[in-house]
Amino acid sequence: MATVSFQNIEKSFGHTKVIQGISFDIREGEFMVLVGPSGCGKSTLLRMLAGLEEITGGTIAIDDKVVNDIESKDRDIAMVFQSYALYPHMTVGENMAFSLKLRKADPKMMADRVAHASKILNLDPYLERFPRELSGGQRQRVAMGRAIVRDPKVFLFDEPLSNLDAKLRVAMRAEIKALHQRLKTTTVYVTHDQVEAMTMADRIVVMHDGRIEQIGAPLELYDHPDNLFVAQFIGSPAMNVMNGKVRRAGGSAHVEVAGGVRWPLSHGPGAEGQAVAYGIRPGDLRLASPDAEGAVSAEIVVVEPTGAETELLIQAGDDQLILVTHGRPKVNPGERIGLTIDPAKVHVFDQGTGARLAA
Amino acid sequence: MAMNTWRKAGTEAKLLLIGIPLFIWTMLPIYHLCLFAFSSKDEAMGGRLWPEHPTLHNFEVVFREQHHYLNHFWLQMWNSLFIAVTVGVLTLVVATSAAFAISRLKVRGGRTVMNLALFTYFIPAAFLAVPMYKTMGVYGLLNNQWALILAMTTIAAPYSIWVLKQASDKLPWELDEAAKMDGASPLQLFRLVYLPLMTPSLVAIGTYSLLLAWNEYLYAFLLLSNDRDVTLGVALGNFLAADDSPWELLMTTGLIYALPPAAIYYTFKRYMVGGLTAGAVKS
Repeated sequence: MATVSFQNIEKSFGHTKVIQGISFDIREGEFMVLVGPSGCGKSTLLRMLAGLEEITGGTIAIDDKVVNDIESKDRDIAMVFQSYALYPHMTVGENMAFSLKLRKADPKMMADRVAHASKILNLDPYLERFPRELSGGQRQRVAMGRAIVRDPKVFLFDEPLSNLDAKLRVAMRAEIKALHQRLKTTTVYVTHDQVEAMTMADRIVVMHDGRIEQIGAPLELYDHPDNLFVAQFIGSPAMNVMNGKVRRAGGSAHVEVAGGVRWPLSHGPGAEGQAVAYGIRPGDLRLASPDAEGAVSAEIVVVEPTGAETELLIQAGDDQLILVTHGRPKVNPGERIGLTIDPAKVHVFDQGTGARLAA
Repeated sequence: MAMNTWRKAGTEAKLLLIGIPLFIWTMLPIYHLCLFAFSSKDEAMGGRLWPEHPTLHNFEVVFREQHHYLNHFWLQMWNSLFIAVTVGVLTLVVATSAAFAISRLKVRGGRTVMNLALFTYFIPAAFLAVPMYKTMGVYGLLNNQWALILAMTTIAAPYSIWVLKQASDKLPWELDEAAKMDGASPLQLFRLVYLPLMTPSLVAIGTYSLLLAWNEYLYAFLLLSNDRDVTLGVALGNFLAADDSPWELLMTTGLIYALPPAAIYYTFKRYMVGGLTAGAVKS
């Protein structure tokens, strides 16, 4: 177990600066997920921690020891690659034992470690097989086994589930999380999939264009996004966002968007006339009758039942919104309906800076 | 239905029309080689298409070195073998190291080396024979088998480097990174990960350079002159020095000389094809 600390990390490829001064700490035993769209620098950051990429500026420390100039193999970290990167000419057992063999470990200890790891990962029956004889999920487990055998200070995962099909991905997600709960090794996990980030992380670092947008626990990011980027990136389906202007008159407040639709606002955020982005999560929209008190008039465009939930695509003024509701509302495309909102659940951001306005 | 059958037959006929002449074209010289080898001297020159009294006498003469052209047959066979194998091994050592350094370690100047390797194809090897002769003279290596070995390695290396570099590039980069994180030094990476994965290409390139040296005539002829040093190929050429050449013995020796390459080719055919197209399909 170890702590990891990034201080003012910068990275340039030629003249292109891909990471622009990032600082954050990872606590002992924490499962930290770096998430962001492709090209945001998350993988580069991980590879710098791994020692596979030079650090242009700043320092990385593991357990308070700066590792900038320490070689990968001496950093005591293990990495699981997206492509698994198993050695094709070695059996599962040899793959897992390879790092110990290179360190000239005691054969008895080596066998014990491999047996231990293969037992945790249910790989016992496959130790003599070659990677090409395994399924995608089994290969992924071997890659994790190779990391576990090392008993490193920090685990690194670089989009480890991207090559798996959807069903297996969900299963492996749970497996990795269970593994972390069992081993309690500090873990840094990179993904572009916000669902993976939400479900697995103790804390999430949301990155965008080489910068950190927000760091926090999954539900903290979901409930209180610091800015428009995080608001739209976290959550599935994504948050509905409409651009409009704050109007305050006679004790009530609302946001007026293009098309003249007025969305309710609690008293806090936004000055009269301020251009804002008005965000509401699909699950926070409520269906009402068209003439209900305070309801916004809208029209159903598409109904998508998925069983437990129903997703509705709704036209309100010039904007199309998504509403997710439990149960199975009896509505049809083309039908006029009303939408109600609890103003406390609304997220309001400045249109120019994207920063959250204090609620 | 009938139309279809006719069309099929037509296609087949066209293929045969091309295939049969090609087959005859290729096999005729080889057939002649065998015809001479299994005939007595008189019969061979008689212009027959089939040996009336096939004999193994010629082989006996060759194997027992019973003709003055064949006084050093076994020695020359050994020379050919020694030189070919050494060239194969040396080329592999040079080309594999170069390919690994350029492709996996990304050493500076790697691109330049690759361009230079490609550039060597602009000059036919025959043009370089005389300069090579001079060079070997300067180093005092004339009439030394190492002159031929070094010259052939020089000729085989650029193509070998090129092919091995291409094959190396197709190995997933993550393997190197995984090995690095597992604690492998560059040498361990080379020995434990790179070499095993490159085996098909290495066999292909080893076979290529070995056969290139085995079949070489011009350089062997120029750089070696002592009867006890020359390769069998050069010795075969010497048969033609006299007006009255023992054709049947020349052909017999030629047939024997052609067998090892054929054997090597068939043994490693799988690798040759596999090695030269390795990585074409994602595995």
